[in-house]
Amino acid sequence: MSKKILILSQSYLESTTDQVCQWMDYLKIPYRRLNGEDFFRFQQLSDLPDNTETAVVWYRRKIAHFPAEFSLKQPDINSQYTLKRFLVDEFNGLHSFLFHSIDAQKWLNDPLSEKNLNKLQVLQLARRLNIHTPFTEVVTTKAKIMALLEQYPALIVKPLSECILLEDTERRAYKMLTSTIDQKSLSAVPETFFPSLVQERIVKKFEIRTFYLDGACYSMAIFSQNNRKTTDDFRNYDNHRPNRTVPYKLPAELEHKLDQLMKILRFRTGSIDLMVDMQGNYHFLEINPEGQFGMVSHPCNYYLEKKFARLLHQSVLHEKEIHQQPENKENAAPATVFSEAE
Amino acid sequence: MEYLNIYANCQLVKGANMSLLCDLQMRRFYHLPNDTAEVLLFLQQYSIDECIAHYGEDNREAITGYVDFFVSRELGFIDDRILPELTAMELTWDRFADITNVVIEYQETIDYSGPFFRELLDQHLEGLEIRFYQPVALPELRELLALFSDSTLRHIKLVLHYEKSLNKATLDELVKKHQRVKSLLLHSSPEEKLEKIFSNSVPVYHFTGEINSCMACGEIRANHFTVNTELFTESLRFNSCLNRKLSIDQQGYIKNCPSMRENYGHVADTSLQAVLDNKTFSRYNHIRKDDIAVCKDCEFRHVCTDCRAYIENPQDIYSKPLKCGYNPYTNNWEEWAQHPMKQAAIGWYGMAEIIK
Ligand code: SF4
Ligand code: SF4
Repeated sequence: MSKKILILSQSYLESTTDQVCQWMDYLKIPYRRLNGEDFFRFQQLSDLPDNTETAVVWYRRKIAHFPAEFSLKQPDINSQYTLKRFLVDEFNGLHSFLFHSIDAQKWLNDPLSEKNLNKLQVLQLARRLNIHTPFTEVVTTKAKIMALLEQYPALIVKPLSECILLEDTERRAYKMLTSTIDQKSLSAVPETFFPSLVQERIVKKFEIRTFYLDGACYSMAIFSQNNRKTTDDFRNYDNHRPNRTVPYKLPAELEHKLDQLMKILRFRTGSIDLMVDMQGNYHFLEINPEGQFGMVSHPCNYYLEKKFARLLHQSVLHEKEIHQQPENKENAAPATVFSEAE
Repeated sequence: MEYLNIYANCQLVKGANMSLLCDLQMRRFYHLPNDTAEVLLFLQQYSIDECIAHYGEDNREAITGYVDFFVSRELGFIDDRILPELTAMELTWDRFADITNVVIEYQETIDYSGPFFRELLDQHLEGLEIRFYQPVALPELRELLALFSDSTLRHIKLVLHYEKSLNKATLDELVKKHQRVKSLLLHSSPEEKLEKIFSNSVPVYHFTGEINSCMACGEIRANHFTVNTELFTESLRFNSCLNRKLSIDQQGYIKNCPSMRENYGHVADTSLQAVLDNKTFSRYNHIRKDDIAVCKDCEFRHVCTDCRAYIENPQDIYSKPLKCGYNPYTNNWEEWAQHPMKQAAIGWYGMAEIIK
């Protein structure tokens, strides 16, 4: 049996995986897509994909929702939550077995490095590579914040882990976002608090989202400045005046350093967030190894889904040590309309 | 020094007299005189002051007026240089299917679940248009739509014959069940109106005219113009109606479009692969707007769709779509059906009855 591309994803709400798979169908690249939901149909451990049949793994998503129900004799919010958590842990116990059973070098991104990724460590690594990062500190007192505000006109607070989504009793969702602390908002800060990550606030000209794909950087500039509502974080979408998103090319030197950073972390793909200040300086913010690349690919017309399919294919060919060119269905760009008008 | 940076997804298309600035992201266009377009091109390389020096002090007000306009519409921004890192957008187009769009002229005697259709649905189709020239019973329609439930087809457009029973509630229920249905057109309707169903997300166009044959197709109207990266890039390189399109007419014949004469076999005994392997099948794919007479000088050429079935000179495959009344040399829209130059072609297609 020939070795396969394995894609770990979920069965719905996953247009990125869908599109990569559709490209692979079209380019006649064989693959196996395993959705988290499929684990509920396995009979035994040996139904899981194994190391010998697998040439390369792309781990995109785990699962959308468990196709499992439970009920409590006495409904109680706390136990509900504990039970949900328990099921998640149970599922992860099975799912992450793959991280160990399939050789680490076959994964596009080292799964354990991805799982244990730490924001502070990434910032530290970046600084070591001379990539500029905003001043970052973890603080617990208002006094310290006041001292920092002597040096920086404003700070932002953001989670050390990931932003979460909260739901109220009416099922309205609230998304956690980055917020600003300055002299004006200082009064709302308690004397002492849970250890919190603060960063100097960069007055940005625009933000950059880079999708890193096996050594190449595909970047997009995000202009949200005109938009008061999104000054802090472009994820707080304003549907009426969407941010302007356009292709961008980072300086070669910065691309080179980002490449080194991704290699140290053993990631062959992922998205990188940067910011450009009013003077044009770059500030590195963070890495999302599982990055959603549709949001960079489509606005910039990068066809990353197709490039991703090619990368997976090359990885299998490399594994088989066959060096033949895949069928070429490329359609090169004609001259741009701009040049035509000249 | 101040420079105007225009965003890469705002593309300028020059026509004979006028230009179109296409904001591909916000899906809007701005119709500009070519003089303004010239200034805009100049500003891609020089500062605003240099531009004023070049065109003369007399034009200061006009130039700063243009700059203010572009900035206020968020088509660009002012900086102390032209940012070279804001690179041009690559204008490639590609899709993961040899067929992206399908048109079916519905006929109850055709079996739409046969091997040809299964092969077709294995393609990752983008859009399917199903035209019903006659009224259709709801259970029949539901049965047909169910055939696409398990496919990767993205959207369906239904062209239906109006009937009282096709009220808002019924259509709403239908669309809820078959969420690929993204738009509906009801012809032979008692009134012209636009309704929205399925929480306002799916438009239902009511049209009083009758659509009883393929001859109704191919109208070019300003309100059909579409500004987006997909159409823009596809039309730079390919035909903006027939590229990767396949149709099945009322008799079950496989065609590029129902209005074309030539066919590539019958669905009952042809394989899709055989059609794709037939070189003549793709003969229209590469006819670009830039190759078509008149259209090549029209500023709308990359937001407009094409028509190759009905053209001004049926003997010249590169002639302008018959059903377009726009003249890019005078920038006027005229009624195409009345145009003296078009009467010969109208007669040739046997269309006179239909358009009167
Ligand atoms: S070629 Fe003309 S008639 Fe045929 S589908 Fe296109 S627009 Fe309609
Ligand atoms: S002249 Fe051609 S491109 Fe212009 S509107 Fe008419 S059909 Fe479209």
